[in-house]
Amino acid sequence: MKFFSMLILLIIPVLCIAQPTQHSELKFNCSLCHSCESPTKTNPCLKACPRAEIITVHHSAEEAPGYIILDKFKNVEDNYAPVNFSHKAHAEMSVMAGGCEMCHHYNPPGRVVACSECHSQSRIRDDLRTPDLKGALHRQCIDCHRLWSSDVACADCHHENITNINKADPVDRYHPQIEEPERLVYDTDEMEGYVTFYHSDHTNIFGQECNDCHKQESCVSCHIEEQMLGNINLSQEEKHDACSGCHDTDGDCESCHKEQITPGFYHAVSTGFNLSKYHSKVECGGCHTTPKVFKGLSGSCAACHKNWSLENFEHSITGLSLDENHSENDCEDCHVENDYKNPTCDNCHDEEIFYPDFLPGIMK
Amino acid sequence: MATQNRRDFLKTVSSIGIVTAGVAATPTKLKADPENILSNERNGVLVDTTVCIGCRRCEWACKKSHDMQPGSIDDYDDKSIFDIKRRPDHTTHTVINAYKGNSISKPIMLKAQCMHCDKPACVSACIVGAFSKKENGSVVWDESKCIGCRYCMVACPFQIPAFDYHKAIEPDIHKCDFCAERKGNGKLPACVEICPVEALTFGNRADLVTLAKDRIKKNPKRYVDHIYGETEVGGTSWMYLSSVDFATLDFPVLSADTAPGVSESIQHGIFAYFIPPIALYALLGGIMYISKQKSNKEEE
Ligand code: SF4
Ligand code: SF4
Repeated sequence: MKFFSMLILLIIPVLCIAQPTQHSELKFNCSLCHSCESPTKTNPCLKACPRAEIITVHHSAEEAPGYIILDKFKNVEDNYAPVNFSHKAHAEMSVMAGGCEMCHHYNPPGRVVACSECHSQSRIRDDLRTPDLKGALHRQCIDCHRLWSSDVACADCHHENITNINKADPVDRYHPQIEEPERLVYDTDEMEGYVTFYHSDHTNIFGQECNDCHKQESCVSCHIEEQMLGNINLSQEEKHDACSGCHDTDGDCESCHKEQITPGFYHAVSTGFNLSKYHSKVECGGCHTTPKVFKGLSGSCAACHKNWSLENFEHSITGLSLDENHSENDCEDCHVENDYKNPTCDNCHDEEIFYPDFLPGIMK
Repeated sequence: MATQNRRDFLKTVSSIGIVTAGVAATPTKLKADPENILSNERNGVLVDTTVCIGCRRCEWACKKSHDMQPGSIDDYDDKSIFDIKRRPDHTTHTVINAYKGNSISKPIMLKAQCMHCDKPACVSACIVGAFSKKENGSVVWDESKCIGCRYCMVACPFQIPAFDYHKAIEPDIHKCDFCAERKGNGKLPACVEICPVEALTFGNRADLVTLAKDRIKKNPKRYVDHIYGETEVGGTSWMYLSSVDFATLDFPVLSADTAPGVSESIQHGIFAYFIPPIALYALLGGIMYISKQKSNKEEE
């Protein structure tokens, strides 16, 4: 009997330690989270969350559960309807901001830890550093919601009649389409004049993703009352931050700060080089390889396509397959002075044959 | 008796007063010892004004637990009430007021109720010992002893004790009792229990000070480095954290000197007119004590 109990005593700690395999492989010092030397599952002796230091992301927003019904407090006196939390919609929105960690602020690698594993369901408890579950859940929602709307009435979340929602087959809600501004004009204090910013050109033509520029945005950056926006005193550096990923904001002030509101940038008009159908799909950096420098390319094919020659150039990618009579010609014969837009036939033919009525091959 | 108004009452007491001046010469008997115990176990509440959302559920719960006609909980969603600043009074022991916000709290919501001082001025000021500081931190008021002199109201640095002027005769002082009865039954104060965001943290006072310091240290941008009530007037059971200077939230700027200084100053003021304060207390106290005895008898 004694032997048996000894055995059990020995086995229990082994089980406890062996269980969280991934957990024990953490690269953190145990004492970051635990206050005692040998934490067990029943007595994990957890310290207050070290939050940002230990967080990992586990799955993408698309894989997140659609709806989560929060109904832990059904029986208390202030009985409100359970909350049907549109988890997936929030997960997707969080991608623009701090990611899953905004809410799952304490999650060692492995499965997603339920809120109630750290936040006690009882308000009477020993460790007061972590808010209880009711407080934590409410804060998690209200902290953001009340920043952009003073409407934090209970019924805004605690809707009646949510019982017919099928947890397994959630109807997803999405963030409504964001209306993108076409042009923004900044009347700058520091320098006389304006910065004219063509927002939609940056996304539609230059292929920028939202978070290429909106690096540290959270929901409240948009969902905030105007008066609050005025209170946000961004430093000069922070203001430039959105642009400095692509543009030289340290030296070349005049390329953006102009005396007048400027027209939008169109490659053909502003630089004389028409991007046409091939180049319009190339990212800016594909041609302008020096970071933050967009000037200095001559516009000739050879400036970028250094290895193109008569031997290896497939003319058909331009849409025109040269016929036998023309396939051996030098480029210069038709494209005089690197003018690829208006080829000439004059070098071989008389005036009766001209481009584009007569073609040196077949258009595809 | 019930129909007697306040003026009649004062007339009565002043006429008896002359007669009873001699009786009042035994003041020690009247001024009961305050139960001024400062236990290490005493509890408190830490109010985090950066967390409070101004839902006023605490107001409702407080009234409900004290049989003070709470009405429908949904009525407490009315935000227009924040247009004017309110004080706790005989209809409510606690109120939420709104202050201009900042990027951390918008607006700042501030719960006001009795601070439950460690060295309560009201206890010192009360000449009949109707106020007492309990071992668990509560400063409570005993109706059976109160003579309605309202010295407590003058003494309190936070102007908390409220008088029900609708009842001129039966002294009726109102203030938060830190839910002494609920706590005695192992329950949380009603306001703490209902708060949806746990803006009110209930616990051992010493633990709460540690907790508050911890929060300030971890979030130096969120909080000003000041726990209101940690040292003010010798320390209070209810303490506050804030993102702005407490003076902007109408908190009185108070030193760590104990508040009974306030009641002393009443005495000192009287002393300046060469009236020994004890004699005056004895006189006033005697008058009121006797008139209370008298009114009690009349009611019987
Ligand atoms: S502690 Fe009790 S009496 Fe005091 S404000 Fe809270 S609910 Fe009201
Ligand atoms: S219940 Fe809590 S959050 Fe609501 S007003 Fe009272 S202290 Fe603030």
